[in-house]
Amino acid sequence: MSPSGPVILGEMPSLSKLYVNAAATAARRRVLGTHAGNGLPEARHEVRGVKAAVENLTAYQHLIGETASDVLPAGFIHALAFPLAMSVMNRDDFPLPLLGMIHLQNHVVQSAPLRFTQALDVRAWTENLRGHRSGTQLDVVTEVGCTGEDAVSWRGVSTYLAKGVFLPGLDKTTAASAAADFSAPDPTALWQLGVDTGRAYAAVSGDFNPIHLSVLSAKALGMRRSIAHGMYLASRALADVGAVKGEAFSWDVAFEAPVFLPARVALDISSVQDTAGAWQRSGYVAWNARSGRRHFSGSVAAL
Amino acid sequence: MSVNGQSAPGPKEPTRAATPPAAKGTGTPAAGSGTDLAAGAAAGPAASQLPQVRRAVIVGGNRIPFARTGGAYTKSSNQDMLTAALDGLIARFGLQDERIGEVAAGAVLKHSRDFNLTREAVLGSALSAETPAYDLQQACATGLETVLGLANKIKLGQIDSAIAGGVDSASDAPIAVSEGLREVLLDLNRAKTLPQRLQVLSRLRPKDLTPDAPNTGEPRTGLSMGEHQALTTAQWKITREAQDELAFNSHRNLAAAYDAGFFDDLLTPYRGLTRDSNLRADTSLEKLATLKPVFGKSLGSAATMTAGNSTPLTDGASTVLLASEEWADAHDLPKLATVVDGEAAAVDFVHGKDGLLMAPAFAVPRLLARNGLSLEDIDFFEIHEAFAGTVLSTLAAWEDEEFGRTRLGLDGAFGSIDRTRLNVHGSSLAAGHPFAATGGRIVASLAKMLHAKDRVDGRPARGLISICAAGGQGVVAILEAH
Repeated sequence: MSPSGPVILGEMPSLSKLYVNAAATAARRRVLGTHAGNGLPEARHEVRGVKAAVENLTAYQHLIGETASDVLPAGFIHALAFPLAMSVMNRDDFPLPLLGMIHLQNHVVQSAPLRFTQALDVRAWTENLRGHRSGTQLDVVTEVGCTGEDAVSWRGVSTYLAKGVFLPGLDKTTAASAAADFSAPDPTALWQLGVDTGRAYAAVSGDFNPIHLSVLSAKALGMRRSIAHGMYLASRALADVGAVKGEAFSWDVAFEAPVFLPARVALDISSVQDTAGAWQRSGYVAWNARSGRRHFSGSVAAL
Repeated sequence: MSVNGQSAPGPKEPTRAATPPAAKGTGTPAAGSGTDLAAGAAAGPAASQLPQVRRAVIVGGNRIPFARTGGAYTKSSNQDMLTAALDGLIARFGLQDERIGEVAAGAVLKHSRDFNLTREAVLGSALSAETPAYDLQQACATGLETVLGLANKIKLGQIDSAIAGGVDSASDAPIAVSEGLREVLLDLNRAKTLPQRLQVLSRLRPKDLTPDAPNTGEPRTGLSMGEHQALTTAQWKITREAQDELAFNSHRNLAAAYDAGFFDDLLTPYRGLTRDSNLRADTSLEKLATLKPVFGKSLGSAATMTAGNSTPLTDGASTVLLASEEWADAHDLPKLATVVDGEAAAVDFVHGKDGLLMAPAFAVPRLLARNGLSLEDIDFFEIHEAFAGTVLSTLAAWEDEEFGRTRLGLDGAFGSIDRTRLNVHGSSLAAGHPFAATGGRIVASLAKMLHAKDRVDGRPARGLISICAAGGQGVVAILEAH
């Protein structure tokens, strides 16, 4: 906790301004050769009284494959809170370049349902700066609860990698990825993702990161084609798990190979029951339907 | 998991009560030994406590020949074809100006303007315009479900006569405008001022003009029905040879039935067709073996499903005339068979617990158990050939010890069937499968077969119908010779 208390923002920051500012910061740092130190900012950012727009919620639910209920899907809350998380990484005292960071994994605990009619308080901070074999990684923690209540109903931990950035004092971990020996099982689902998948998710999530929007904008940032948003993929997998997950659950995803658009993504979702037949968890794994390369895997589990 | 575990058995249907229904006054014999057997097996509330119901009989049926998509019926709408099948039925049984109790039919691929498809077909037919009608949709089980629903109304005395049916056109399929265009058009309709309208129109993008054609993918999995069945076919280790043999038998049996005149009083020619255009009387196992697999190619297991052992997209319509015994007698019409009982089931296919088309593997054991019957008590099996692999996977599941124990809650395997009793006059692989029309085709054909067979070992001949459907559903039924 920051000794000076949270930084309260008057409203949810604008993602597009944050992206522009991040680009400007990157340019400034490159030109001036400055950097922002080797530690994470201690500041926590907070916005109070956030409300979801119901039109936006409905569009999100339809795109992801959720029923348009009044409960906010766990992935929607991530998108709703994302600008605040970005604002922490956009601070002048944040030591890593924001643009080009790679989303490695995401862990969400939804302990109680939140509805679009409720005003929400959102807090975000960064922690756990550590080495990675190809750069530096950190966690962005976001907590969401009803305004005026202490209980956290939704807590997300997003792990990002700044590739090729090595800060002094952090050990490189040497653990290699275990992706090598994946062999695809029979699929239970097949997603046909068109070239406009990134734009469609940007429209409902507000995340207009250029790497997702078009071939040209992705190429400008060094990608050969645009890629699907990781949280779009994970949120669809969460929707595919279905109503069995109930209103309180944990949700994990680990991203491996990016999904270049357009794509055919095959999935296997399998559930585990306890001895009494009650649902315990559903694991999911997704791979390229043609090459068999694994894109992401994760699980949804009862709390 | 058990047969009963999937869904609790309902109250015992009293049709099979030892006491004959009081309404019966036409001198027909009381329920035969087969029905007594079922009454003996009843463990629910005593039949005497339930209201008596009467029998529902199948008088006959009429369909138009089924046509491969893009063929003879390319320009015929669902309403055209349903009306054609209905008109043939009316002519065959002299129903001109008759006020039928109720007509129910449906189509799987349906234009939104056809919301009252069946009523419109009735209004365009020679039936009395005072005949009520309703549409029903349960994917490929639509036709059989209309028979069961209407038969129940007759049994309960709500109506005395009914026409069940179904129609589908894969040629004249509805095509929807894209979501983008649809939203713009709807918002445009809601806009009140010119600036608002212009603002709405400015949202239109060129890609919004691309239409949405219907596809056969399951909404929750994105896999086509063929790809789903390919998974099930591989799971049950069904060979290419076994599938081709089933397809070959279907063509051979259907061709023989046509040659023997079996369909003469079941079918009305339409648009120049007198036989199902998919029928290949001259096909052979060698020819079928040359076809390349079309489903399951990317699933890792050896692909076995071809265009020859899968049903093609087809256009067509079928109808069935149902009645109470009194109504049939009063109109001097035949009583071919009775609708004994029906059962619907559904499987949890979304994450692969069961195959998409395997619901009948659960529905049939439940239905037979409720009626105190086993597979040996069935003289004709009509198992809809969505794919040869569907029929063979269902039979393999019934013959599997572990499936019987763990999924059906039995002591062992459910049982095997005498293959010479299976689809003896051909089925969908040869005839084609205009989705909602298949149930009526099978019910009318089976009723005629049962009537011809009449009695077996002193009891009425008995037939079982099994139809799988999209969404992991299945509807099955028992018919008996009257």
